[in-house]
Amino acid sequence: MTSVYVHGIGMTQFGTFVDRSMKELLLEACIQALEDAGNPKVDAVYVGNFMGGAIYNQEILGAIVANELGLGFIPTAKVEGACASGGIALRQGIMGILSGEYETVLVAGVEKMKHASTSDVTQAINAAMDNDSNEKQAGLTFPGFFGVLANRYFYETGASKKHLAMVALKNREHALNNPLAQFQKPATLDEIMNARIITNPLGLFDCSPMTDGAAALVISKKKSGVHIRSSAQNSGPTQMQDADDLLSIPAIRESGRLAYEKAGVGPEDIDVVEIHDCFSMTEVLAIEELGFFNKREGWKAVEEGRTKSTGDKPVNTSGGLLSRGHPIGATGIAQIYQLVRQLRGTAPNQVDGAKLALAQNLGGTGSYSTVHILERV
Amino acid sequence: MKIFKCNSCDYASVSSKYTCPQCRTGKLEAQEVSPKGTVFSFTDIHIAPAEFADIAPYTIALIQLDEANVKVTARMDNPVQIGDKADLDKIENGAYLYTRI
Repeated sequence: MTSVYVHGIGMTQFGTFVDRSMKELLLEACIQALEDAGNPKVDAVYVGNFMGGAIYNQEILGAIVANELGLGFIPTAKVEGACASGGIALRQGIMGILSGEYETVLVAGVEKMKHASTSDVTQAINAAMDNDSNEKQAGLTFPGFFGVLANRYFYETGASKKHLAMVALKNREHALNNPLAQFQKPATLDEIMNARIITNPLGLFDCSPMTDGAAALVISKKKSGVHIRSSAQNSGPTQMQDADDLLSIPAIRESGRLAYEKAGVGPEDIDVVEIHDCFSMTEVLAIEELGFFNKREGWKAVEEGRTKSTGDKPVNTSGGLLSRGHPIGATGIAQIYQLVRQLRGTAPNQVDGAKLALAQNLGGTGSYSTVHILERV
Repeated sequence: MKIFKCNSCDYASVSSKYTCPQCRTGKLEAQEVSPKGTVFSFTDIHIAPAEFADIAPYTIALIQLDEANVKVTARMDNPVQIGDKADLDKIENGAYLYTRI
Protein backbone atom coordinates (compact mmCIF):
# COMPACT_ATOMS: atom_id res chain seq x y z
CA MET A 1 0.00 0.00 0.00
CA THR A 2 1.21 3.53 -0.69
CA SER A 3 1.05 6.37 1.81
CA VAL A 4 -0.05 8.88 -0.85
CA TYR A 5 -3.37 10.74 -1.01
CA VAL A 6 -5.17 12.82 -3.63
CA HIS A 7 -5.80 16.40 -2.47
CA GLY A 8 -6.91 18.21 -5.58
CA ILE A 9 -8.26 17.52 -9.07
CA GLY A 10 -8.68 19.64 -12.18
CA MET A 11 -9.76 19.06 -15.76
CA THR A 12 -10.55 21.23 -18.76
CA GLN A 13 -13.42 20.64 -21.11
CA PHE A 14 -12.30 17.96 -23.61
CA GLY A 15 -12.93 18.69 -27.28
CA THR A 16 -11.73 20.89 -30.13
CA PHE A 17 -9.96 24.05 -29.00
CA VAL A 18 -8.03 25.22 -32.03
CA ASP A 19 -7.82 28.77 -30.60
CA ARG A 20 -6.48 27.73 -27.20
CA SER A 21 -2.78 26.94 -26.71
CA MET A 22 -1.47 23.79 -25.07
CA LYS A 23 -0.07 25.96 -22.28
CA GLU A 24 -3.46 27.55 -21.60
CA LEU A 25 -5.16 24.16 -21.29
CA LEU A 26 -2.39 22.74 -19.12
CA LEU A 27 -2.37 25.71 -16.74
CA GLU A 28 -6.17 25.79 -16.44
CA ALA A 29 -6.24 22.16 -15.24
CA CYS A 30 -3.29 22.74 -12.87
CA ILE A 31 -4.83 25.86 -11.30
CA GLN A 32 -8.12 23.99 -10.70
CA ALA A 33 -6.23 21.14 -9.00
CA LEU A 34 -4.16 23.53 -6.86
CA GLU A 35 -7.25 25.49 -5.77
CA ASP A 36 -9.11 22.25 -5.03
CA ALA A 37 -6.16 21.22 -2.82
CA GLY A 38 -6.08 24.60 -1.03
CA ASN A 39 -2.92 25.84 -2.81
CA PRO A 40 -0.31 23.79 -0.92
CA LYS A 41 3.46 24.18 -1.36
CA VAL A 42 4.41 21.96 -4.33
CA ASP A 43 7.76 20.13 -4.28
CA ALA A 44 7.83 18.73 -7.85
CA VAL A 45 5.85 18.63 -11.10
CA TYR A 46 5.36 15.74 -13.54
CA VAL A 47 3.55 16.30 -16.85
CA GLY A 48 2.34 13.47 -19.07
CA ASN A 49 2.48 14.35 -22.76
CA PHE A 50 3.03 12.30 -25.92
CA MET A 51 3.21 14.37 -29.10
CA GLY A 52 3.81 17.95 -27.96
CA GLY A 53 7.22 17.85 -29.59
CA ALA A 54 6.13 16.04 -32.75
CA ILE A 55 3.07 18.08 -33.77
CA TYR A 56 3.09 21.19 -31.56
CA ASN A 57 6.82 21.94 -31.27
CA GLN A 58 6.60 22.34 -27.51
CA GLU A 59 8.56 20.49 -24.85
CA ILE A 60 9.80 21.55 -21.33
CA LEU A 61 6.20 21.36 -20.12
CA GLY A 62 7.19 20.69 -16.50
CA ALA A 63 9.32 23.81 -16.26
CA ILE A 64 6.63 25.87 -17.99
CA VAL A 65 4.09 24.80 -15.35
CA ALA A 66 6.45 25.61 -12.45
CA ASN A 67 7.32 29.02 -13.90
CA GLU A 68 3.90 30.16 -15.06
CA LEU A 69 2.29 29.15 -11.77
CA GLY A 70 5.09 30.64 -9.66
CA LEU A 71 5.77 27.35 -7.90
CA GLY A 72 9.48 28.16 -7.57
CA PHE A 73 12.41 26.54 -9.36
CA ILE A 74 11.47 23.04 -8.24
CA PRO A 75 12.30 19.74 -9.99
CA THR A 76 10.00 19.00 -12.94
CA ALA A 77 9.84 16.50 -15.80
CA LYS A 78 7.77 15.60 -18.81
CA VAL A 79 6.86 11.92 -18.90
CA GLU A 80 6.32 10.10 -22.20
CA GLY A 81 4.75 6.64 -22.34
CA ALA A 82 2.52 6.95 -25.40
CA CYS A 83 -1.15 6.84 -24.30
CA ALA A 84 -0.02 5.82 -20.79
CA SER A 85 1.97 9.07 -20.37
CA GLY A 86 -0.53 10.34 -17.77
CA GLY A 87 -0.63 7.12 -15.74
CA ILE A 88 3.15 6.86 -15.74
CA ALA A 89 3.48 10.56 -14.75
CA LEU A 90 1.19 9.88 -11.78
CA ARG A 91 3.26 6.84 -10.84
CA GLN A 92 6.46 8.90 -11.01
CA GLY A 93 4.89 11.45 -8.67
CA ILE A 94 3.86 8.71 -6.26
CA MET A 95 7.36 7.19 -6.36
CA GLY A 96 8.86 10.63 -5.70
CA ILE A 97 6.74 10.93 -2.56
CA LEU A 98 7.38 7.32 -1.46
CA SER A 99 11.13 7.86 -1.85
CA GLY A 100 10.91 10.58 0.81
CA GLU A 101 12.20 13.24 -1.58
CA TYR A 102 8.88 15.13 -1.91
CA GLU A 103 5.86 15.73 0.28
CA THR A 104 3.46 17.18 -2.31
CA VAL A 105 3.55 16.77 -6.10
CA LEU A 106 1.54 18.33 -8.93
CA VAL A 107 0.86 15.77 -11.68
CA ALA A 108 -0.71 16.88 -14.95
CA GLY A 109 -1.36 15.61 -18.45
CA VAL A 110 -2.06 17.48 -21.66
CA GLU A 111 -2.39 16.98 -25.41
CA LYS A 112 -3.15 19.29 -28.30
CA MET A 113 -4.15 17.37 -31.44
CA LYS A 114 -7.04 19.03 -33.25
CA HIS A 115 -4.97 21.66 -35.08
CA ALA A 116 -3.23 18.90 -37.09
CA SER A 117 -4.56 16.78 -40.00
CA THR A 118 -5.80 13.21 -39.37
CA SER A 119 -2.98 11.72 -41.47
CA ASP A 120 -0.32 13.73 -39.58
CA VAL A 121 -1.78 12.66 -36.23
CA THR A 122 -2.07 9.01 -37.40
CA GLN A 123 1.59 9.20 -38.39
CA ALA A 124 2.56 10.73 -35.02
CA ILE A 125 0.53 8.08 -33.12
CA ASN A 126 2.45 5.42 -35.04
CA ALA A 127 5.48 6.53 -33.01
CA ALA A 128 3.87 4.38 -30.29
CA MET A 129 4.77 1.26 -32.31
CA ASP A 130 8.23 -0.20 -32.97
CA ASN A 131 8.91 1.63 -36.21
CA ASP A 132 12.19 -0.14 -36.97
CA SER A 133 10.31 -3.35 -37.73
CA ASN A 134 8.83 -5.34 -40.61
CA GLU A 135 5.36 -4.65 -39.13
CA LYS A 136 5.61 -0.93 -39.56
CA GLN A 137 7.11 -1.39 -43.02
CA ALA A 138 4.12 -3.57 -43.99
CA GLY A 139 1.78 -0.68 -43.10
CA LEU A 140 0.32 -1.91 -39.81
CA THR A 141 -1.27 1.02 -37.98
CA PHE A 142 -2.12 1.52 -34.37
CA PRO A 143 -5.88 1.00 -34.93
CA GLY A 144 -4.98 -1.83 -37.34
CA PHE A 145 -3.47 -3.83 -34.48
CA PHE A 146 -6.79 -3.74 -32.62
CA GLY A 147 -8.66 -4.58 -35.86
CA VAL A 148 -6.56 -7.75 -36.28
CA LEU A 149 -7.23 -8.57 -32.65
CA ALA A 150 -11.00 -7.99 -32.98
CA ASN A 151 -11.33 -10.29 -36.01
CA ARG A 152 -9.58 -13.08 -34.11
CA TYR A 153 -11.72 -12.43 -31.00
CA PHE A 154 -14.88 -12.78 -33.12
CA TYR A 155 -13.49 -16.01 -34.61
CA GLU A 156 -12.74 -17.61 -31.24
CA THR A 157 -15.80 -16.40 -29.28
CA GLY A 158 -19.45 -15.71 -30.00
CA ALA A 159 -18.81 -11.96 -30.15
CA SER A 160 -19.59 -9.81 -33.17
CA LYS A 161 -19.42 -6.20 -34.29
CA LYS A 162 -22.65 -5.61 -32.37
CA HIS A 163 -20.89 -6.22 -29.06
CA LEU A 164 -18.21 -3.68 -29.88
CA ALA A 165 -20.98 -1.25 -30.81
CA MET A 166 -22.61 -1.88 -27.42
CA VAL A 167 -19.36 -0.79 -25.72
CA ALA A 168 -19.28 2.40 -27.80
CA LEU A 169 -22.97 3.07 -27.13
CA LYS A 170 -22.57 2.56 -23.36
CA ASN A 171 -19.65 4.97 -23.20
CA ARG A 172 -21.53 7.52 -25.31
CA GLU A 173 -24.54 7.28 -22.98
CA HIS A 174 -22.23 7.87 -20.01
CA ALA A 175 -20.67 10.89 -21.73
CA LEU A 176 -24.08 12.50 -22.23
CA ASN A 177 -24.16 13.09 -18.45
CA ASN A 178 -20.58 14.39 -18.29
CA PRO A 179 -20.41 18.10 -19.17
CA LEU A 180 -16.61 17.88 -19.68
CA ALA A 181 -16.87 15.08 -22.27
CA GLN A 182 -16.03 15.67 -25.93
CA PHE A 183 -19.16 14.01 -27.35
CA GLN A 184 -22.50 15.23 -26.04
CA LYS A 185 -24.66 14.02 -28.94
CA PRO A 186 -26.67 10.80 -28.50
CA ALA A 187 -25.93 7.93 -30.90
CA THR A 188 -27.82 4.76 -31.81
CA LEU A 189 -26.61 1.18 -32.16
CA ASP A 190 -27.48 1.30 -35.89
CA GLU A 191 -25.54 4.50 -36.43
CA ILE A 192 -22.50 3.04 -34.63
CA MET A 193 -22.62 -0.26 -36.54
CA ASN A 194 -22.98 1.43 -39.93
CA ALA A 195 -20.39 4.15 -39.44
CA ARG A 196 -17.42 4.59 -41.78
CA ILE A 197 -14.88 1.74 -41.49
CA ILE A 198 -11.47 2.77 -40.14
CA THR A 199 -9.83 -0.69 -40.10
CA ASN A 200 -12.30 -3.55 -40.21
CA PRO A 201 -14.18 -4.54 -38.14
CA LEU A 202 -13.59 -1.21 -36.35
CA GLY A 203 -15.67 1.75 -37.48
CA LEU A 204 -15.51 5.40 -36.51
CA PHE A 205 -17.31 4.94 -33.16
CA ASP A 206 -15.04 2.02 -32.19
CA CYS A 207 -11.98 4.29 -32.24
CA SER A 208 -11.12 6.99 -29.71
CA PRO A 209 -11.09 10.48 -31.20
CA MET A 210 -8.44 13.17 -31.54
CA THR A 211 -8.94 15.56 -28.62
CA ASP A 212 -7.54 18.73 -27.06
CA GLY A 213 -7.56 18.83 -23.28
CA ALA A 214 -5.71 18.68 -19.97
CA ALA A 215 -6.17 17.27 -16.47
CA ALA A 216 -4.23 17.62 -13.22
CA LEU A 217 -3.94 16.22 -9.70
CA VAL A 218 -2.29 17.30 -6.47
CA ILE A 219 -1.00 14.31 -4.48
CA SER A 220 0.66 14.35 -1.09
CA LYS A 221 1.78 12.16 1.78
CA LYS A 222 -0.53 14.25 3.99
CA LYS A 223 -3.84 12.45 4.54
CA SER A 224 -7.02 13.29 2.62
CA GLY A 225 -10.31 11.56 1.89
CA VAL A 226 -8.89 9.68 -1.13
CA HIS A 227 -6.07 7.21 -0.53
CA ILE A 228 -4.03 5.78 -3.42
CA ARG A 229 -3.89 2.20 -2.17
CA SER A 230 -1.59 0.98 -4.92
CA SER A 231 0.28 1.94 -8.06
CA ALA A 232 1.60 -0.65 -10.53
CA GLN A 233 3.14 -0.62 -13.98
CA ASN A 234 4.22 -3.21 -16.52
CA SER A 235 5.47 -3.56 -20.07
CA GLY A 236 4.50 -5.96 -22.83
CA PRO A 237 5.38 -6.90 -26.42
CA THR A 238 5.96 -3.92 -28.71
CA GLN A 239 5.11 -5.92 -31.83
CA MET A 240 1.90 -7.77 -32.74
CA GLN A 241 3.79 -10.74 -34.15
CA ASP A 242 5.52 -11.26 -30.78
CA ALA A 243 2.25 -11.74 -28.85
CA ASP A 244 2.18 -15.17 -27.27
CA ASP A 245 -1.64 -15.04 -27.18
CA LEU A 246 -3.07 -12.41 -29.52
CA LEU A 247 -6.22 -12.13 -27.37
CA SER A 248 -4.28 -11.20 -24.27
CA ILE A 249 -2.55 -7.95 -23.35
CA PRO A 250 -0.03 -9.15 -20.76
CA ALA A 251 0.86 -5.64 -19.59
CA ILE A 252 -2.76 -5.04 -18.53
CA ARG A 253 -3.06 -8.41 -16.82
CA GLU A 254 0.24 -8.11 -14.96
CA SER A 255 -0.18 -4.45 -13.91
CA GLY A 256 -3.63 -5.40 -12.59
CA ARG A 257 -2.31 -8.40 -10.71
CA LEU A 258 0.44 -6.32 -9.10
CA ALA A 259 -1.96 -3.51 -8.18
CA TYR A 260 -4.41 -5.94 -6.52
CA GLU A 261 -1.56 -7.64 -4.65
CA LYS A 262 -0.11 -4.35 -3.37
CA ALA A 263 -3.57 -3.05 -2.39
CA GLY A 264 -4.62 -6.32 -0.77
CA VAL A 265 -7.89 -6.40 -2.71
CA GLY A 266 -9.28 -8.37 -5.64
CA PRO A 267 -11.33 -7.53 -8.74
CA GLU A 268 -14.53 -8.48 -6.88
CA ASP A 269 -13.91 -5.63 -4.37
CA ILE A 270 -13.77 -2.84 -6.97
CA ASP A 271 -16.88 -0.62 -7.14
CA VAL A 272 -16.10 1.56 -10.15
CA VAL A 273 -13.58 1.38 -12.99
CA GLU A 274 -12.01 3.64 -15.59
CA ILE A 275 -10.16 1.61 -18.22
CA HIS A 276 -8.32 2.41 -21.39
CA ASP A 277 -10.92 2.00 -24.16
CA CYS A 278 -8.72 3.41 -26.93
CA PHE A 279 -10.84 1.08 -29.06
CA SER A 280 -14.10 -0.66 -28.13
CA MET A 281 -12.22 -3.96 -28.52
CA THR A 282 -9.63 -2.87 -25.97
CA GLU A 283 -12.31 -2.37 -23.31
CA VAL A 284 -13.59 -5.92 -23.84
CA LEU A 285 -10.08 -7.35 -23.43
CA ALA A 286 -9.21 -5.13 -20.46
CA ILE A 287 -12.26 -6.16 -18.41
CA GLU A 288 -11.10 -9.77 -18.92
CA GLU A 289 -7.42 -9.11 -18.18
CA LEU A 290 -8.28 -7.20 -14.98
CA GLY A 291 -10.20 -10.22 -13.73
CA PHE A 292 -13.69 -8.69 -13.74
CA PHE A 293 -14.92 -11.35 -16.17
CA ASN A 294 -13.60 -14.67 -17.52
CA LYS A 295 -11.23 -14.74 -20.48
CA ARG A 296 -13.07 -14.76 -23.84
CA GLU A 297 -16.32 -13.79 -22.02
CA GLY A 298 -16.04 -10.02 -21.61
CA TRP A 299 -18.43 -9.56 -24.55
CA LYS A 300 -21.15 -11.42 -22.63
CA ALA A 301 -20.85 -8.99 -19.70
CA VAL A 302 -21.23 -6.12 -22.19
CA GLU A 303 -24.32 -7.76 -23.70
CA GLU A 304 -25.84 -8.20 -20.24
CA GLY A 305 -25.27 -4.52 -19.38
CA ARG A 306 -23.04 -5.40 -16.43
CA THR A 307 -20.50 -2.67 -17.30
CA LYS A 308 -23.06 0.15 -17.48
CA SER A 309 -23.07 2.72 -14.65
CA THR A 310 -26.16 0.86 -13.36
CA GLY A 311 -24.52 -2.58 -13.69
CA ASP A 312 -22.60 -4.58 -11.08
CA LYS A 313 -19.18 -3.54 -12.49
CA PRO A 314 -19.51 0.02 -13.84
CA VAL A 315 -16.81 0.74 -16.44
CA ASN A 316 -15.95 4.17 -17.83
CA THR A 317 -18.66 6.22 -16.14
CA SER A 318 -16.90 9.31 -17.55
CA GLY A 319 -17.62 8.20 -21.13
CA GLY A 320 -14.17 6.66 -21.51
CA LEU A 321 -11.65 7.52 -24.17
CA LEU A 322 -14.29 6.79 -26.81
CA SER A 323 -16.67 9.57 -25.75
CA ARG A 324 -15.09 11.63 -22.95
CA GLY A 325 -12.23 12.04 -25.45
CA HIS A 326 -8.57 11.04 -25.59
CA PRO A 327 -6.09 13.94 -25.35
CA ILE A 328 -3.33 11.35 -25.14
CA GLY A 329 -1.09 12.66 -22.34
CA ALA A 330 -4.10 13.79 -20.27
CA THR A 331 -6.07 10.54 -20.40
CA GLY A 332 -4.45 8.73 -17.45
CA ILE A 333 -5.01 11.80 -15.26
CA ALA A 334 -8.59 12.33 -16.47
CA GLN A 335 -9.37 8.75 -15.41
CA ILE A 336 -8.26 9.60 -11.85
CA TYR A 337 -10.26 12.87 -12.00
CA GLN A 338 -13.45 10.88 -12.65
CA LEU A 339 -12.69 8.26 -9.98
CA VAL A 340 -11.93 10.86 -7.31
CA ARG A 341 -15.30 12.44 -8.10
CA GLN A 342 -16.90 8.99 -7.77
CA LEU A 343 -15.27 8.53 -4.36
CA ARG A 344 -16.33 12.03 -3.29
CA GLY A 345 -19.88 11.21 -4.40
CA THR A 346 -20.05 14.03 -6.95
CA ALA A 347 -19.45 12.26 -10.28
CA PRO A 348 -21.49 12.23 -13.45
CA ASN A 349 -23.13 8.75 -13.48
CA GLN A 350 -22.45 8.46 -9.75
CA VAL A 351 -22.19 4.89 -8.47
CA ASP A 352 -23.93 4.79 -5.08
CA GLY A 353 -21.52 4.39 -2.18
CA ALA A 354 -18.42 3.83 -4.34
CA LYS A 355 -15.50 3.08 -2.01
CA LEU A 356 -12.85 1.31 -4.11
CA ALA A 357 -11.98 2.47 -7.62
CA LEU A 358 -9.53 1.22 -10.26
CA ALA A 359 -7.92 3.07 -13.18
CA GLN A 360 -6.03 1.30 -15.98
CA ASN A 361 -4.07 3.29 -18.57
CA LEU A 362 -2.53 1.61 -21.64
CA GLY A 363 0.33 2.81 -23.84
CA GLY A 364 1.15 1.60 -27.34
CA THR A 365 -0.25 -1.72 -28.55
CA GLY A 366 0.22 -3.13 -25.05
CA SER A 367 3.72 -1.74 -24.54
CA TYR A 368 2.89 -0.09 -21.21
CA SER A 369 0.10 -0.37 -18.67
CA THR A 370 -0.43 1.31 -15.32
CA VAL A 371 -3.07 0.44 -12.73
CA HIS A 372 -3.97 2.62 -9.75
CA ILE A 373 -6.40 1.59 -7.01
CA LEU A 374 -8.03 4.40 -5.01
CA GLU A 375 -10.04 4.18 -1.81
CA ARG A 376 -12.41 6.56 -0.03
CA VAL A 377 -11.15 6.84 3.56
CA MET B 1 12.66 -17.10 -44.46
CA LYS B 2 14.87 -16.34 -41.50
CA ILE B 3 13.53 -16.80 -37.94
CA PHE B 4 15.29 -16.75 -34.56
CA LYS B 5 15.03 -19.70 -32.20
CA CYS B 6 16.20 -19.96 -28.59
CA ASN B 7 19.07 -22.41 -28.02
CA SER B 8 17.73 -23.46 -24.61
CA CYS B 9 13.90 -23.37 -24.77
CA ASP B 10 11.14 -23.52 -27.41
CA TYR B 11 10.82 -19.73 -27.93
CA ALA B 12 11.05 -18.47 -31.50
CA SER B 13 10.37 -15.13 -33.19
CA VAL B 14 10.67 -13.50 -36.58
CA SER B 15 12.84 -10.81 -34.97
CA SER B 16 16.01 -11.28 -32.96
CA LYS B 17 16.37 -10.32 -29.28
CA TYR B 18 19.47 -9.91 -27.12
CA THR B 19 18.38 -12.71 -24.78
CA CYS B 20 15.43 -15.06 -24.92
CA PRO B 21 12.40 -13.24 -23.41
CA GLN B 22 10.89 -16.58 -22.33
CA CYS B 23 13.69 -18.41 -20.44
CA ARG B 24 15.93 -15.30 -20.14
CA THR B 25 19.09 -17.41 -20.32
CA GLY B 26 19.19 -18.72 -23.90
CA LYS B 27 20.45 -16.93 -26.97
CA LEU B 28 18.43 -16.69 -30.17
CA GLU B 29 19.97 -18.33 -33.23
CA ALA B 30 18.98 -17.74 -36.85
CA GLN B 31 17.25 -20.56 -38.69
CA GLU B 32 15.76 -20.87 -42.18
CA VAL B 33 12.15 -22.06 -42.43
CA SER B 34 9.49 -22.09 -45.13
CA PRO B 35 7.53 -18.80 -45.21
CA LYS B 36 4.29 -20.70 -45.94
CA GLY B 37 1.59 -20.36 -43.33
CA THR B 38 -2.05 -19.75 -42.42
CA VAL B 39 -3.88 -16.46 -41.82
CA PHE B 40 -4.34 -16.23 -38.02
CA SER B 41 -6.14 -12.90 -38.27
CA PHE B 42 -6.30 -9.80 -40.46
CA THR B 43 -7.65 -6.29 -40.96
CA ASP B 44 -8.30 -4.09 -43.97
CA ILE B 45 -6.82 -0.67 -43.26
CA HIS B 46 -8.95 2.13 -44.71
CA ILE B 47 -7.48 5.06 -42.81
CA ALA B 48 -3.71 4.93 -43.30
CA PRO B 49 -0.85 7.12 -42.15
CA ALA B 50 0.46 9.64 -44.68
CA GLU B 51 3.18 7.31 -46.01
CA PHE B 52 0.72 4.50 -46.90
CA ALA B 53 -2.28 6.65 -47.86
CA ASP B 54 -1.76 6.06 -51.60
CA ILE B 55 -2.26 2.26 -51.31
CA ALA B 56 -5.23 2.30 -48.86
CA PRO B 57 -7.36 0.30 -48.36
CA TYR B 58 -4.90 -2.55 -47.95
CA THR B 59 -4.90 -5.82 -45.98
CA ILE B 60 -2.58 -6.64 -43.11
CA ALA B 61 -2.51 -10.25 -41.92
CA LEU B 62 -0.87 -12.07 -39.06
CA ILE B 63 0.50 -15.29 -40.59
CA GLN B 64 1.10 -18.39 -38.47
CA LEU B 65 4.05 -20.18 -40.10
CA ASP B 66 3.65 -23.90 -40.85
CA GLU B 67 7.18 -24.93 -39.90
CA ALA B 68 7.73 -22.95 -36.67
CA ASN B 69 5.80 -21.55 -33.73
CA VAL B 70 6.24 -18.09 -35.17
CA LYS B 71 3.79 -15.47 -36.39
CA VAL B 72 4.69 -12.85 -39.00
CA THR B 73 2.92 -9.58 -39.74
CA ALA B 74 2.54 -9.24 -43.51
CA ARG B 75 0.81 -7.11 -46.13
CA MET B 76 -1.44 -9.16 -48.43
CA ASP B 77 -1.97 -8.44 -52.12
CA ASN B 78 -5.71 -9.15 -51.72
CA PRO B 79 -8.31 -9.40 -48.92
CA VAL B 80 -8.18 -12.66 -46.90
CA GLN B 81 -10.10 -14.62 -44.25
CA ILE B 82 -8.88 -16.42 -41.14
CA GLY B 83 -7.68 -19.91 -42.14
CA ASP B 84 -6.57 -18.96 -45.67
CA LYS B 85 -3.21 -20.42 -46.72
CA ALA B 86 -0.58 -17.88 -47.69
CA ASP B 87 2.97 -17.73 -49.03
CA LEU B 88 5.65 -15.07 -49.23
CA ASP B 89 5.71 -13.23 -52.54
CA LYS B 90 8.64 -10.91 -51.82
CA ILE B 91 10.35 -8.79 -49.20
CA GLU B 92 10.15 -5.10 -50.08
CA ASN B 93 11.52 -2.21 -47.96
CA GLY B 94 11.77 -4.62 -45.04
CA ALA B 95 8.09 -5.63 -45.32
CA TYR B 96 6.90 -9.21 -45.92
CA LEU B 97 4.46 -9.15 -48.84
CA TYR B 98 2.31 -12.30 -48.88
CA THR B 99 -0.17 -13.76 -51.32
CA ARG B 100 -3.06 -16.19 -50.76
CA ILE B 101 -2.43 -19.69 -52.19
